[in-house]
Amino acid sequence: MVEFDRSAFIKKFQEEATEYLQRLNEGVITLEGDPENRALIDQMLRDAHTLKGSARMVGLIEISDVAHRLEDIMVKVREGELRYEPKMSDSFFEALDMIVFLSENAGKDVSGEVDIPALLGRLGTVAGAEAEPAPVATASPEEELQADTETHESAPASVQKPSKKAVHDEEKLQARVQNTIRVRTEQVDKLLNLVSEVVISQIKDEQRVRDLRSLQALSNETQQMWVRVRSLAAIAQAGPRESLDEDIEALDQLLSDQRRQLGVIAKEYADDTSRSASVVADLQERGMSLRMLPVSTVFSTFPRAVRDLAKQFNKDVELEIEGGDTELDKKVLEEINDPLIHIMRNAVDHGIESVADRVAAGKPAKGTIRLAARQEGDHIVIEVTDDGAGIDPDKVRAAAVRKGHISQAEAASMSDREARYLIFDAGFSTSAIITEISGRGVGMDVVREFVVVKLKGSLDVESVPGKGTTLKLTIPLTLAIIRALLVRVSGQLFALPTSSVEETLRVEPSEVIRVEGREVIRRQRRTIPLVRLRDVLGLESIPVEGKKLPMVTVGFSGHRMGFLVDAFAGEQQIVIKTLGSHLAHVDNVAGVTILGAGEIVPILNVPDLMHHARQLTGMRVRHEPVVRTSEVGSKRILICEDSFTTRELERSIFEAAGYEVETAIDGALGLAKLREGLKVNAVVTDVQMPNMTGFELTRAIKGDELLAHIPVIIVTSLEREEEKAEGINAGADAYITKSVFNQDTLIDTVERLIR
Amino acid sequence: MTDIDPLIRQSVASQSLDILRKRAESLAQVEEIEATAEMFALLCFRLGSEWYAVRIADVREIHNDFVVASIPRVPSFILGVINVRGEIISVTDTAALIGIASDGVHGGQEMSSAIIVHSELCVSALVVDEIGDIIEIRKDAVEPPLSTYDRSQVEFVSGSVYVDGRLIGLVNLEKVLEPIGEKA
Repeated sequence: MVEFDRSAFIKKFQEEATEYLQRLNEGVITLEGDPENRALIDQMLRDAHTLKGSARMVGLIEISDVAHRLEDIMVKVREGELRYEPKMSDSFFEALDMIVFLSENAGKDVSGEVDIPALLGRLGTVAGAEAEPAPVATASPEEELQADTETHESAPASVQKPSKKAVHDEEKLQARVQNTIRVRTEQVDKLLNLVSEVVISQIKDEQRVRDLRSLQALSNETQQMWVRVRSLAAIAQAGPRESLDEDIEALDQLLSDQRRQLGVIAKEYADDTSRSASVVADLQERGMSLRMLPVSTVFSTFPRAVRDLAKQFNKDVELEIEGGDTELDKKVLEEINDPLIHIMRNAVDHGIESVADRVAAGKPAKGTIRLAARQEGDHIVIEVTDDGAGIDPDKVRAAAVRKGHISQAEAASMSDREARYLIFDAGFSTSAIITEISGRGVGMDVVREFVVVKLKGSLDVESVPGKGTTLKLTIPLTLAIIRALLVRVSGQLFALPTSSVEETLRVEPSEVIRVEGREVIRRQRRTIPLVRLRDVLGLESIPVEGKKLPMVTVGFSGHRMGFLVDAFAGEQQIVIKTLGSHLAHVDNVAGVTILGAGEIVPILNVPDLMHHARQLTGMRVRHEPVVRTSEVGSKRILICEDSFTTRELERSIFEAAGYEVETAIDGALGLAKLREGLKVNAVVTDVQMPNMTGFELTRAIKGDELLAHIPVIIVTSLEREEEKAEGINAGADAYITKSVFNQDTLIDTVERLIR
Repeated sequence: MTDIDPLIRQSVASQSLDILRKRAESLAQVEEIEATAEMFALLCFRLGSEWYAVRIADVREIHNDFVVASIPRVPSFILGVINVRGEIISVTDTAALIGIASDGVHGGQEMSSAIIVHSELCVSALVVDEIGDIIEIRKDAVEPPLSTYDRSQVEFVSGSVYVDGRLIGLVNLEKVLEPIGEKA
């Protein structure tokens, strides 16, 4: 007999529970404002009930007990015995959080970490003093299961029975109209992979149709030629005719048969291909739409989040949501959650004023944040508007000057609008990493960078002092298809997203000006630095025809750059594919696309390209400090990392920045090197390594009088707060998590710590 | 051999059916004795003059006659990517990774054979010079890697087996299939 695999069901339960918990969380918020909402009360009752039942089915008794208490409360609310009071929300949230925790730790004994009986007691109190003496919490699972399946519970009969019955009836009704199925996204993606292959073969088919047509034309020509040759042969013929006549006759017949058949095939093939073309186009469109989900799937977590944030910052805030049914690609949706949370955290923290200030300013005590989504063409616009204090351009100017970000003169010459945009500039809010340690959240520059790089969108800000601020996020509907410019470099094709291309032009070699060893051109009264794309990509130079230099101007975060290519190869819609699971990240390359002919073409990552181009030419953006080459030359870094690829990656990053690099494949070897007298300016270490972990290494270094002064930077994928705390407790000077890691942050952090 | 992709059955099995049959015949008597020992199957391949192997359970399929699209600025042991039925898969220059000389036909872009291997996280196509037999060996027949390998090689070769007068290196797929550039 196959053993009952509970773990598989627990996973299913966790997936299912997420949905119910989500809805319950939302419900609590809505109920606070509308305690008589009958439909909502019914739904919350159903959800709590279902949660209780499914938890019990998979043996998560504690979850079932907590859910049961929630159900009890909802039953009383429904029967009018209890009125929902906002003060009950805290207990509800506590219970829901507990269920989340228990679900995440399913199967583990967590009785030491959480006090479930106490929570059950508190929930019992909420349900009212006359609440039944917790019979179910102690009942054995079998009993409960049975009671449930038979639809009548032994406990307080008069009240619960009818409502229970109703619940079950509605559930049956729901089951009957069930018209959706749950599909793993992985399966959808595999399907879409195949669809794109079908699209490619369709394009090839269409090419075949054209080939057949030209073959047909060729055959027509042959026929005409043959007719002429035959009549000439008839005239010029002298000598034995009979056999030749027969041959000619046969050939004549063959040729006309051939021509006729070819005509039929060509026509049928063309018809079939054009029919399947429309089917394939439909298939592709519908396939893509499989991945579309309403933004409410993400938005619905926000009321709870904003409520928690408001509590944390001691503000009174209400969240309004509009356009929740606007649809977006699932991948975009997944990525959009974090930036929106950051924006809302900012709005609650810095935007909305304290209640006292609001009242003093003659505003309603409760602040409002409006989250609205709408579709505009092939883009989605999401606006987060608060009615808070607004962004004071003078304060921004002052802060930017204080931090040495811009000069006094620059600040004075800036318009208010430009000044507000400073909040997006890198380094305006203090570095992502160091603040992450102190737990102050991530700066707007990181949010914007994320929106631009990951979501291929843009982030804008509007603000009226005293009235409020609007952050406007514009992102494409899907990340799967973009328009791209194809360029040829060193014999290979590359795609550049059209969204970041400003213009394409052919430059006369005489227009190129050399300044301080760099090449630039003047264009519309601006100086644009020129970079050869093949140099950035590290490709061989091959001779190119033509005197004029094809150039693509790209723009990103206010900077422009001209990339010289060998040739332009057209613009078209392309389907973005990842580089596969093995190549998790490649410099300059955002993915690949497959062209009609089956050719694989890398899609270039423009911000990355500009960054590397700058490194290559030693160019520096306006505000970045000048590299102190002589100083850097003598600096040495020790990298402790057990993964070969990560180690080599970090080595190349530091070497490119002019550091000397020593490596060790685990903490113990690293420590040995230091104790043997290796002098380094900083240690960069992974956490999980054999023999000695990064935390242990950090502790050892910080506990050693001779070594304690060396800054330790932990680079890891461990992102949980406790782990971060452990890193800091161990004495690490910085903790960089994978999600914020890129070579700039790494180098920046190290330089800041060494300085 | 229950967890093998049907595709491999087709491609690998058809290629080596004869060899297997012959081997099975010659091993028939020995197997009776060894039936209780734990066995596992390896797919052998040649790199230059040396033989290596991966566990059959890690092999997804064999891919023949393909053109690699090169990707700029990847580690030198990554030759580029290929399109396998709509899925983009990296192509690993196995010989370069292990640090030995291969037949050296990799200068061009046309490759003859690659073994597509997978781990829980990753998929990659390992370019090889020649696909060899499938052999069954006892677990305890695996010897530690040669002491003459240097450190970087040991990372990619986890051990060796001695079969029919040939020393076959076992490729450490855990290391070979480490995601590249993940932290960047």
